[in-house]
Amino acid sequence: MPPSKPYSFVRYKTAEEAKEAYVTLNGKEIVDDLGQKIILYLNFVEKAQWKELGLQALPPGLMVVEEIISSEDEKILLESVNWTEDIDNHNGQKCLKHRRVKHFGYEFHYENNNVDKDKPLPGGLPDIWDSILEKWLKEGFIKHKPDQLTVNQYEPGHGIPAHIDTHSAFEDEIVSLSLGSEIVMDFKHPDGVTVPVMLPRRSLLVMTGESRYLWTHGITPRKFDTVQASKGHRSGIITSDVGDLTLSKRGIRTSFTFRKVRQTPCNCSYPLVCDSQMKETPPSFPESAREASQLEREYVHRVYEEIAEHFSSTRHTPWPRVVDFLKALPSGSLVADVGCGNGKYLGINKELYMVGCDRSQNLVGICRERHLEALVGDALAVPLRSGSWDACISIAVTHHLSTAERRVAALQELVRLLRPGGMALIYVWAMEQEYKKKKSKYLRENRLRQGKEEEIHSDAAEPESLGEQVPDAGDQDAPCRVSAATDVRAGGGSASKVTDAKLPVHTNRTSFRSQDLLVPWHRKGNPGRDEPVGATESRAPGPVFHRYYHVFCAGELEEACRTLSHVRVLQSYYDQGNWCVVLQKV
Amino acid sequence: MKLLTHNLLSSHVRGVGPRGFPLRLQATEVRISPVEFNPDFVARMIPKVEWAALLEAADTLHLVEVPKGPIEGYEHDEKFLRQMHHVLLEVDVLEGTLQCPESGRLFPISRGIPNMLLSDEETET
Repeated sequence: MPPSKPYSFVRYKTAEEAKEAYVTLNGKEIVDDLGQKIILYLNFVEKAQWKELGLQALPPGLMVVEEIISSEDEKILLESVNWTEDIDNHNGQKCLKHRRVKHFGYEFHYENNNVDKDKPLPGGLPDIWDSILEKWLKEGFIKHKPDQLTVNQYEPGHGIPAHIDTHSAFEDEIVSLSLGSEIVMDFKHPDGVTVPVMLPRRSLLVMTGESRYLWTHGITPRKFDTVQASKGHRSGIITSDVGDLTLSKRGIRTSFTFRKVRQTPCNCSYPLVCDSQMKETPPSFPESAREASQLEREYVHRVYEEIAEHFSSTRHTPWPRVVDFLKALPSGSLVADVGCGNGKYLGINKELYMVGCDRSQNLVGICRERHLEALVGDALAVPLRSGSWDACISIAVTHHLSTAERRVAALQELVRLLRPGGMALIYVWAMEQEYKKKKSKYLRENRLRQGKEEEIHSDAAEPESLGEQVPDAGDQDAPCRVSAATDVRAGGGSASKVTDAKLPVHTNRTSFRSQDLLVPWHRKGNPGRDEPVGATESRAPGPVFHRYYHVFCAGELEEACRTLSHVRVLQSYYDQGNWCVVLQKV
Repeated sequence: MKLLTHNLLSSHVRGVGPRGFPLRLQATEVRISPVEFNPDFVARMIPKVEWAALLEAADTLHLVEVPKGPIEGYEHDEKFLRQMHHVLLEVDVLEGTLQCPESGRLFPISRGIPNMLLSDEETET
């Protein structure tokens, strides 16, 4: 038997029947379902490997909901898809080689099997799905509102190769609605087990957990499926009992696959098939703008998207000196909050018109929930009119930029926004967490203060409330070389210079040993509840997120501001673990 | 997104500079959200408004009773201030798009939030 070819084995009950089959069929010419003439060749074999499949179970996390859409709705939904708009569509071609595809919400790129998360498609999901998705959410068929839809149309003969939906692209829950025709989908486990699953017409396939992350799914390109005769069109695994099998001719099936785009790396329990975890090498100090951008994407933007809600719940106390700055502004001032986070400062002074800008969609969403004006944008390209703003604030933002050039560029943006005479307030995390022999709140032991849940957060990296420190630039416990603003390799850290260029991971609530580092954020199961430091050992650890920071040395922020043109530094001070500058555009 | 905010937005596609303003507005869902009237506040906003952009946006949304420009003594003209208050602060665009007038780049507005993120290639440096 020539190798690497598919063979079919037939087992007859008696030798006589086998002989009769051989005589009748061997050399016989038949026409296959594609209209091609083929000749059957039979041969006896001594032994056939017949794997008797045990009682098969659906892949864990897989569910098929039957008749989730009525026949009337099916017709409407199928008609709602406008295929003629597609440029890629082979219009007029009778025999389409491939299935037709349309994307909504985000474009899916087949070159890397991923979506471009920064380029959502305008329009989002078609309106017609709104009520259906709400219904599915309400009835518990889905747990999350999807923001990406891929429509696939399979004609008989079309299929899709076995694959796992890219971990880093989409969240856990992936659902697929089958309209127009039923189909058999094959699920394969890496161990080799294959489970064929019938997806009836108008049913919803729900893939979560193992079935989403570990098993591949695919559709064999053919015109007939082998189905279970006794079950008719009902969902479930196709039996391996040959006595109960029959052929079912395929019709045109249109699938609507709904997914939620992932904003953070995947941290599933299947690392070997996970693109996020397989490519994650420890991040190093960036050596180019591109690397800097990628570092920030992974270790700032993605993290904030993931922790947004929890982060927001720990950021409720506005810092008094920032409040003072805002309250001192004249009534009717236009103020931009670049890196506004959850909008903590946007509503402080009702006499101002404040607009917030943040990189995190989730955090801006929280601003919006609070009826605050905010938009999604980048601090390096603030989408606001130049020279029009009476004031800007940038609170705990610039320290997330990973090169000196980018930090200066962010400061330059603030100046660009200001009208002449306008003022900007900038706060960044300080390398020196101990000042005038007094530790900042961040460093202080919290075991004694378990009652004050509002202030103590075992996982909050930055200090929430402030003390009364008066800074004295000459008196620091951690001697620190002031990095010049143009110093690209800001290796001006204290004791440990970053010689191997890998970013160290900081231990929370201790002094900083390096200016460039990753600071852990622990997310708990209960985002609203805070627990005292030290009590974490007994619980199963939740996912840890690393955020990139460049903490500033004394004078570093001020010096960076002085390099900007048309700027005068009005104030420079230390405020509970932060270096702060007020500058004015001249 | 309020119209006053729209009046302050600018596109940052590479190379467009000041020609990235104003963004062309298209709205598919708009809501009127009442805001407490503060005449002093509105009066102070008037000099900061780019009128041509405001009128264009108001026109797209088919708003009526939109003053064509600041009138003499507007600071004390309650009717004028109330109209401006409504246009600038009470009209909320929930769904739509913003288009860069120079590059044509589209930015979505979703749930009241404009998403102005650019890809690395598009960012001005």
